[in-house]
Amino acid sequence: MSTPDQGLALHHLTVRFGGLLALDDVSLRVTPGRVVGIIGPNGAGKTTLFNVVCGFVGAQAGSMTLDGRPFRARPHHLVRHGIARTLQGVGQFNGLSVLENVLAGVRSGRKPEQQAAAALERCGIAEHARQMPATLPYAVRKRVELARALVSKPRILMLDEPAGGLDTDEIRWLETLIREADTTVMLVEHHMDLVMSVCDEILVLDFGKPIAFGPPDTIRNDPKVTDAYLGAAA
Amino acid sequence: MDRFLFLTFDGLSRGAVYAAFALALVLIWRAARIVNFAQGAMAVATVYAGYSVTNATGSYWLGFVVAIVGGLVLGAAVERVVMRFVDHSSPLNGVVVALGLVLIIQGVLGMIYGNEFLPAPTAFSRDAFEVGGVALLSRYDIFVFASVGAVVVLLTLLFTRTPTGLRMRAAAFAPDVSRLLGVPVGGMLTLGWALAAAVGSLAGLLVIPTELGLHPTAMDVVFISAFTAAVLGGLDSPIGAVIGGLVVGLLLSYVSGYLGATVAPMAVLILLVVVLLGRPDGLFTRARTKARAA
Repeated sequence: MSTPDQGLALHHLTVRFGGLLALDDVSLRVTPGRVVGIIGPNGAGKTTLFNVVCGFVGAQAGSMTLDGRPFRARPHHLVRHGIARTLQGVGQFNGLSVLENVLAGVRSGRKPEQQAAAALERCGIAEHARQMPATLPYAVRKRVELARALVSKPRILMLDEPAGGLDTDEIRWLETLIREADTTVMLVEHHMDLVMSVCDEILVLDFGKPIAFGPPDTIRNDPKVTDAYLGAAA
Repeated sequence: MDRFLFLTFDGLSRGAVYAAFALALVLIWRAARIVNFAQGAMAVATVYAGYSVTNATGSYWLGFVVAIVGGLVLGAAVERVVMRFVDHSSPLNGVVVALGLVLIIQGVLGMIYGNEFLPAPTAFSRDAFEVGGVALLSRYDIFVFASVGAVVVLLTLLFTRTPTGLRMRAAAFAPDVSRLLGVPVGGMLTLGWALAAAVGSLAGLLVIPTELGLHPTAMDVVFISAFTAAVLGGLDSPIGAVIGGLVVGLLLSYVSGYLGATVAPMAVLILLVVVLLGRPDGLFTRARTKARAA
């Protein structure tokens, strides 16, 4: 049972790029064990929100806490905090083999090769371990990135458009993976069937501003969301 | 035939040094996408440090160790203090700063040690063994092969068998992705520069005694040969640098032996031009290494 302070909390985050307000007073609590979706039209600020959590982008206002303590986002400290993130596209080391790509994500512990092999097995791509990512189909490369994120056994898994470019079968596999991930998941995604099926809560952004937050059924029936996004996405 | 054999072994010995120096250039190119034109001057600076220690203590090996450790420290310092703050939006910026470093280092060395060639000590005789009446290898050549071979083996083990090597390669391929995985990208870059400078120092220690001696500009011509070797092999390819170094060493040896020593520098430049025109990515750079992180 988690206490109210546990998990990641974003408090009134505001980010400006010059004259563009990318995030406008965004707050969000990510409770341990939950799957939280972040949706919105292109340019709504979803990836910017992820980038703030990861430390790639600094917020002009607002703060973050992790388990109730102030959280200063720095990319190379994320793993130490138990946070793993995938990127849009496939974000891989094309000069490293599939196994090496996943090995690079091993955080600690003994027998890193076994940990990497287990992650590859879990993602159903063990047979590609010795191959180079650039030679593999896009869907397999997406799985490599997921294996690399999962191998660190994160307490918070941030997935940035993991279904992009995948076919129906692959998305069904992804859905199962998220359900069985046994960790907190933050999911930025345009594929509404996936979002509505796996998420416990959904934050909707529009032009950087949060316009709705709640369980999928509430979001699906919210007229503001329908007007801003779902009407177009459906 | 005797002459050909002698020139071949001599070329391979020289080529091994170029290979080491080219490897140093490749290490930095892979990590930072900079051709470190200051590599030669940095190497000379550390060889001078080793020379001072050898003169003071009488021990060649103490001077040798000081030069290698000095290379590690100097490489790390150059990255931390200078290169880290260069605006990398244009590749020219790093090149200009490196050329500035050359002028500074050579100027300071000239002020401290003077601008005369100093005799550089060697640990082994350079008299060649004769096999069947043919002069082939000297003890010094064997020392060169062993040293460069050890460096190549150690670097290969580092990059392919250790977590640190994997992180260094990851940081070079995709810094942002590496950061997300907890890789200290800046630290890996510093380590890359330190290792490269140490390998450069080794090359300096090996080649300077075989040339005119110790001088602030002693590595300038060596740099051109090693740069050609690195371009020939492909700036992204460590194995290409080694093979390129051996090819350039053989070319220089054959041209010097058959056409005259004065023609040799021109042969290297012609090779460089031919490679840049015909296969600018080098002979050993594969498509997969050109395409960095997707």
